[in-house]
Amino acid sequence: MSNAVHAQRLAIALLAALALAACSQNNEVAAEDPGHASGEHGSSSSAGLPEGHIAAGEKRSQVKSEATKQSCIDCHGAEGNKPIDPTYPKLGGQYGDYIAHALQAYRAGDRQNPQMTPQAAALTDQEISDLAAYFGSRPTQLRDLHGLD
Amino acid sequence: MMRPLPLAACLALAAALSVAVVTAQTPASPATAPAEAKPAEAAPTPATAAPAAPATPVGNPQAGRTLAYTCQGCHGVEGYKNAYPSFHVPRIGGQSAEYLAQALTEYKKGNRKHPTMQAQAQSFSDQDIADLSAYLSSVK
Repeated sequence: MSNAVHAQRLAIALLAALALAACSQNNEVAAEDPGHASGEHGSSSSAGLPEGHIAAGEKRSQVKSEATKQSCIDCHGAEGNKPIDPTYPKLGGQYGDYIAHALQAYRAGDRQNPQMTPQAAALTDQEISDLAAYFGSRPTQLRDLHGLD
Repeated sequence: MMRPLPLAACLALAAALSVAVVTAQTPASPATAPAEAKPAEAAPTPATAAPAAPATPVGNPQAGRTLAYTCQGCHGVEGYKNAYPSFHVPRIGGQSAEYLAQALTEYKKGNRKHPTMQAQAQSFSDQDIADLSAYLSSVK
């Protein structure tokens, strides 16, 4: 009799484990719910970067990289506002922390682009912060979508 | 005396349940990947879609304006921040149509990774992406 009770308990435990496994799969789906703003996989946070300096970023934006022989403004234009190719984004007045996040993602290899991947590879945390501060401080042609009818 | 019966019943139940779990997963997997579901639905009409597919679709800003309501949830909230990692959701209004279309296409293909943006982009056709890009690049 007691063996039957053990068997029942074992079966209940087994069923509970199965139910949990099924539930945990549902949780993975919920994590991708498009209603939540969640981060880019594998990217480190822009939190923890040193404070950026606009003047240093302005200088760095004109330095041609070893890898591409191009500077930021060679491609994104003066103050990041005149890209030489329409597929290159405008950077002037973009949120600095977003620019820093993008550069970190390129540096880490989480985001890939033939020009930007080698361009970002050599950047230090300080340089990323400086560039983000500089471009974020420039006049902008960009806007959020609030207030549109 | 009573032992074998409950044991067998429990094992049978567990087996049946595990089969149920496995079969439940099979139809569930397309539902978790909306990108796969949509082309499958569109598959019956490739003849009409095929001529438009090779050329880059021309964006219609009016159609894009309607589609862009969904973007407002994050990009329309001033100062709205992404969580983990924390950064401002980018300003996308006024960015070029070419850049926006490229970004959405990269998200759609999974080359650029962001759970929300990938899910959004996967729900858009190439025409939708062209329409959205035409609209978003035009806002002042």
